[in-house]
Amino acid sequence: MTLATSSRPRATSRGPGASPRRRRYGPRLLPWLFLAPALIIFLYFKYIPMTKGVWLSFFKVQPFLGDEWVGLDNYRQVFTDESFRAAIGHTLYLAVMQTGGAMLIGFCLALLLEGKARTLWFVRSAAFLPVVSAIAVVGEVWRLLYFPAADGMLNGVLGWFGLGPQGFLDDPDSALWWVSVVGIWKHAPYDMMIILAGLAGIDRQLYEQAALDGASLRQRIRFVTLPALRPVVTILVTLACIRGLRIFTEVFVLTAGGPAGSTDVVMTRIYTLGFQSGDIGFASAASVLLFLVILTLTVCVTLYRRRKEI
Amino acid sequence: MPAPQRIIAGLALLLFATTACGSEPTSEATGLELWTRSTPASAEVYKKVIAAYTAKTGVKVTYVPIYENFENKIQEAAAARDLPDVVINDVSLLGTGLSQGLITPVDRAGIAGAGDTLDRAWNQARAADGKYYGVPFSTQAVATFIRKDWREKLGKDVPKTWAELDALARAFQDDDPDGNGKDDTYGMLVPASTERGYTAWWASSYLWQGGGDFLTESGGRFTPAIDQPRSVEAVKWMRKLFCEDKVVVPGALTLITDDAHPFFETGKAGVYLTGPWMMGRFDKSLGKDRYEVVPSPAGPGGQGVLGEGENIYLMAGSKLGAQQKQLAEFLISPEGQRIGMNTDQPNPVVRLPVNTTVDVVAERKDERWATIKKIYENDGRLFPQVPNWTPLRQQAAETLNSIFANCGADVQAELTKLAGSFRTELAKQKAG
Repeated sequence: MTLATSSRPRATSRGPGASPRRRRYGPRLLPWLFLAPALIIFLYFKYIPMTKGVWLSFFKVQPFLGDEWVGLDNYRQVFTDESFRAAIGHTLYLAVMQTGGAMLIGFCLALLLEGKARTLWFVRSAAFLPVVSAIAVVGEVWRLLYFPAADGMLNGVLGWFGLGPQGFLDDPDSALWWVSVVGIWKHAPYDMMIILAGLAGIDRQLYEQAALDGASLRQRIRFVTLPALRPVVTILVTLACIRGLRIFTEVFVLTAGGPAGSTDVVMTRIYTLGFQSGDIGFASAASVLLFLVILTLTVCVTLYRRRKEI
Repeated sequence: MPAPQRIIAGLALLLFATTACGSEPTSEATGLELWTRSTPASAEVYKKVIAAYTAKTGVKVTYVPIYENFENKIQEAAAARDLPDVVINDVSLLGTGLSQGLITPVDRAGIAGAGDTLDRAWNQARAADGKYYGVPFSTQAVATFIRKDWREKLGKDVPKTWAELDALARAFQDDDPDGNGKDDTYGMLVPASTERGYTAWWASSYLWQGGGDFLTESGGRFTPAIDQPRSVEAVKWMRKLFCEDKVVVPGALTLITDDAHPFFETGKAGVYLTGPWMMGRFDKSLGKDRYEVVPSPAGPGGQGVLGEGENIYLMAGSKLGAQQKQLAEFLISPEGQRIGMNTDQPNPVVRLPVNTTVDVVAERKDERWATIKKIYENDGRLFPQVPNWTPLRQQAAETLNSIFANCGADVQAELTKLAGSFRTELAKQKAG
């Protein structure tokens, strides 16, 4: 705003001879000019590739033979491909499980670790470690933990309690669940941090008053903490859902979609078809659909939030 | 200059600069660009070969070894229309490269020194249309690696049949071959992840040994054979290893080759069907005298094993046609092949030479290479030479992985379904 006002006196100081065009467009153009460097970078590295991706989804892509227009064939294939449908199901399962699980555990951790003591600060940092470790490394470590024989690490622990060795990632019936456990382990501390920030914003007096009115711990959480955390929770849900739908690295490192395709998600499918089988058109179509789903979801959550918070 | 004008000028400059960045890349200025799918260790051997080529011809080569995500990198380069001039890769690139127009045809008769090359090696560079789209650089066949010390300790013979192989694997699994008193050894090492279609790579040899096949060809047309009785029996036998005998290492269904090798090296598994390129690494990590390399035990249909190799692909869009050909000619010459064999060192990039004037046994002074050569000559087989095998390989890998994972599944029904997918894909490729 200061920019717009500062340009005005200069225009008038030039007297009646100053160009009226500058007076009309200058102030409006100027903010865009300042935004331009960022916009140009976005244009080059985001919007042009995205448009190109959408464009390619209508073609059989073969750069050196000339791309062949196939209309909506690639999209039709996405919907009819059985393994792709299964992958969509797995993705939704992971998105829901990981979002819910991470949020629940993150919330419990946040309640436990809220406070100003030095030791709590240390424990919080320690709990946050999974978030900052490289997911590829985390995946390899979990593969070791999940080794599906009696001498595997987790199976060794289960053995102490007399539980038989689990198949973990080797068992097509349970592999998806074990993948989601890794996701929850990785993401819960992040949710914890955001919720902690939300908790810090709650007026202490509300708790005291509730306690004076005889509210139990559970009632205090239900009627004071949770309503106050609503903005934090909606933000977390949006972010986690988007993250959940785009899930790739965890699955790729842990199972690459196996065994028997039981952990195949949309992104691993796109990767396999696009890069390993070389069908870029089909992979683009699937990516466009994934983008549309995420966009719709984001818009819905934003609208819902606006309505709730006004 | 007034402030707004200065800003506009600055932005114009920025715009110009960004546009300039997006202009045509100029890779030609640096000479030939060569990509290979290599581990850092084998990349060192390629560097030696290239140095000899540059010394001889004066042509500079920019060498890019890639191991992880090789196929991605090729696709990215293709999308940018800036492919390397030459690529050395296995037979997989033939189909995808041809279907997308990434590789160019090779006139076999026009390649200097082609007369000295092994006739059957050229099969791996021949596409479905009968033309050659690469120059063979190296060949190999997979063999059965067995922990010799374990086998001798348990008093077993080298297995000659499937039944004996199965029995040996079970003994490795149950009879504590390493004598540490713990039940921590496994019979067979199987990298059966669906990534890159690994399940199909591994299963192909046993499928052929069982008398089955993926497809049958007649007059350039292909029909699925994977649902035929002998294929079904072979797959059932493989599943028995997973489900009934349980001799396969845990986690095999999501295991990729890189993660698999340590099982053999660290004394976890005793039988491993793999390629001769692993000998260098295992000699070092495990010790040459502790394991043996033998031909695959015969199944009801013989001893067929996967025997392919690496091709030199002359990539599309290159402006250095003559140099591309010249590099290929050097690579198949006795000199290029000898350096690539890296004789007294591990990690050969030429496993079995394609040049008939180079004798692998004389060069390597290692009897195991004579075995590999014999296996290749007698029992080596290629994947079906459909226009593009990669999607079919992926489908086969996914179905086989699923059969091995679900012990109760109906094998015949699953393979019939796979045959259906094969038919659809073959029709798409106009080869069915």
